[in-house]
Amino acid sequence: MATRVVTVNRDTKPGLLPVLRGMGVVFSNMVKTMFGKELATVSYPEQKRSNSGRYRGIHVLTQREDGTPKCVACFMCATVCPAECIFIESGERPERQIEKYPTRFEIDLLRCVYCGFCVDACPEEAIIMSRENDLVGTSRAELIIDRDRLMDRGKLMEHGAGYRPIDHDVRRPVRIAALERLKKEHGIVPHMPEPRVGPAHRG
Amino acid sequence: MTDEKKGTPPGAQTPPKADEPRPAGGGAPGTQETKPGEKGAAAGPAEAPALKVQPESSIPAPPPKPGHVRITIDGTPLEVPSGTSVIQAAASLGIEIPHFCYHPDLPVDGNCRMCVVEIDKMPKLQIACNTQATEGMVVHTESAKAKQAHRTTLEFLLVNHPIDCPVCDQAGECYLQDQYMEVGLHDSKIEPEEKVRKRKVVDLGPIMLDAERCVLCSRCIRFERFVTGTDSFEFRNRGDHTQIATFQDRPITHNYAWNLADVCPVGALLSHDFRFKMRVWFLEAQDSVCPGCSTGCNIYVDHRDGEVHRLRPRRNVEVNKSWMCDVGRVEYKEIALDTRVTAARVRKGAGWEEATIATALDVIADKLQEAGKAAAFLATPQATNEDVYMFRLLADRVGGMLDFRVGNPQDKVTVREDNVLLRADRNPNTTGCLDQGIGRTGVDTILNACRSGGVKALVLQGQDLLKDPVVAEVIAKVPFVAVMASHERPDLDKAHVVLPVAVWAELDGTFTNYQRRVQRIRRAVPAPGAAVPRWELAAGLITRLGEPVPVSSARDVFTLIARDIKVYAGLDHRAVGATGRAIGDQATQEARA
Repeated sequence: MATRVVTVNRDTKPGLLPVLRGMGVVFSNMVKTMFGKELATVSYPEQKRSNSGRYRGIHVLTQREDGTPKCVACFMCATVCPAECIFIESGERPERQIEKYPTRFEIDLLRCVYCGFCVDACPEEAIIMSRENDLVGTSRAELIIDRDRLMDRGKLMEHGAGYRPIDHDVRRPVRIAALERLKKEHGIVPHMPEPRVGPAHRG
Repeated sequence: MTDEKKGTPPGAQTPPKADEPRPAGGGAPGTQETKPGEKGAAAGPAEAPALKVQPESSIPAPPPKPGHVRITIDGTPLEVPSGTSVIQAAASLGIEIPHFCYHPDLPVDGNCRMCVVEIDKMPKLQIACNTQATEGMVVHTESAKAKQAHRTTLEFLLVNHPIDCPVCDQAGECYLQDQYMEVGLHDSKIEPEEKVRKRKVVDLGPIMLDAERCVLCSRCIRFERFVTGTDSFEFRNRGDHTQIATFQDRPITHNYAWNLADVCPVGALLSHDFRFKMRVWFLEAQDSVCPGCSTGCNIYVDHRDGEVHRLRPRRNVEVNKSWMCDVGRVEYKEIALDTRVTAARVRKGAGWEEATIATALDVIADKLQEAGKAAAFLATPQATNEDVYMFRLLADRVGGMLDFRVGNPQDKVTVREDNVLLRADRNPNTTGCLDQGIGRTGVDTILNACRSGGVKALVLQGQDLLKDPVVAEVIAKVPFVAVMASHERPDLDKAHVVLPVAVWAELDGTFTNYQRRVQRIRRAVPAPGAAVPRWELAAGLITRLGEPVPVSSARDVFTLIARDIKVYAGLDHRAVGATGRAIGDQATQEARA
């Protein structure tokens, strides 16, 4: 890429006009704040700002209909986690189809960097993020949040879900990377169907 | 970083598979089989070294050696013994042809059709596992035709696969996963709901069976038929509904059950012991040797964060092929027990006082000097050659009595307990002790001297010697007993000094197996607390008796062994290598085998 030279003219003389213009912004904001209805500040904690649906707040473990965790303890989140803040212990449950589940699932919220990789890595949509960001505790141990607290959706999902897989495209990053490699190394372009609508197809 | 991490299949960081001829460290497959100059590596066509022929187009190549044929694989010419299959020849070049049913230590079945290759002048693709290399054969493993065949075969194998990788413990070391990422990458034409359902979570004792994940390669059937001779598994039903099963779901009862989990290329057979405990991509593998009996099976010690999670067989055609027994496999459980001795202690009146190793050694050195010829030393065949050597040196310095044959392990060293691997002598280093002349005074002489008060100070090299009730009884009569112990035992209360020692997975050293094959064990995890190898303790005592021996590692000690013990002459840790080195004259070896 060619280098682009940007010339900046620093020869402008200070005058009254820029100052007045700046003060104009200040006063217009002051008037809006005093008499307007759309305030920039909220009265936290009574009021809370509404974060976007892709906000990466405190994690939530989703549940099946019977109230058991959707998580199958595959350790993908713990593997991908750059902060190594996820601790999982797996156990066996009597169900024949999905016989594995986490007996312990802990996230050290003080270590977590809220990158959302765990959500991306999860094959079961078992871990999603909330819009909640109040991380208050009286001890460090209190902020290592365990499985049951992670599943306690009511409290964490008060303001709606945060970062979660919405797009069920079969072309997930793992596949895209693998396909690119295949094309680059072997020149093979396998047949790719159109993205499916509906639940993820775990091909 | 995101993409890179996500783009890595879980199998990428997997420790090498047991039955694959891959050395540790993810090197090219096949190099272990064909290490040039490896003594006695060429025991048959399977392990024959392949000589790489330099391609020189202008000069006609000389005729192949007698009994050899020349073939070309992916443009590389090579010479292999006649009778070698194409898959073995390719492996010797480091080319891994995808496969499921082929296993280097099982008879060829050729049912998975995955390993097809294109061979010039043959109209159809051929399976590499059951095609013998013939003179002038030109093989293409990567041609478009072969690649397409791999993809379609894999798609066919995956038609009814449940794709429950998140739940499956094989994930990370699964042939299906690896090959899907390597050659497959197709989209299934079958919806999960349309797949044929089979039985899942069938408990077969030490093994869990999941028939849905099975690719029907029949490796388990062949293992049961040709290795253990128990014939437990068989195919049941036909077509899409074929599945493996044991008769009336009877459990696997033989001592080699967990090999089935290794031999299974997918997650159909899983070890009950390891299931759900750890994802394999977190584990690091260290080459070592099983301490369970005098066979000395080569193993991988799979560990993470200082904890050993499982032992897996490491292929060594001369010793254990690709197998190991279940008795050996549970040896790792001893390592992290909370009964480990983690600090030295010295008797104070009726109780114990914790001490540093240095203080404890001072106490022992004083007592040994006092005792002189009235000192006795009992070595253990559980210890490495290095440990035993330094212990003998210590006994020589003091001038006391020395032996190791408590319970007469030397009588059982070559006795087979079954027809596969396990031997009656459950000590890994009895032969090493014999080679070093540790059986000197006679155990009975020492024990009688203990009873009659002729022994003033007794040093036991391992707490396992106390398993013998006679030893446990006589030590009560000796005025001073020091024990190098890795685990607590009630009998240790009769001792006067207890020294903490590291166990086999925590130290470097060598064992000499029943064939008189010297094999290396390596440190995989740190020893708990103050525990150190036994040779270090012996070296510390020698230092305190004056005239220290300058050794700072097991490698140093082995150099001294090579200097002093005739049959070990010329060896060092490097020469012993990954798969060990047979020593002594051929006749002795054959007699022992």
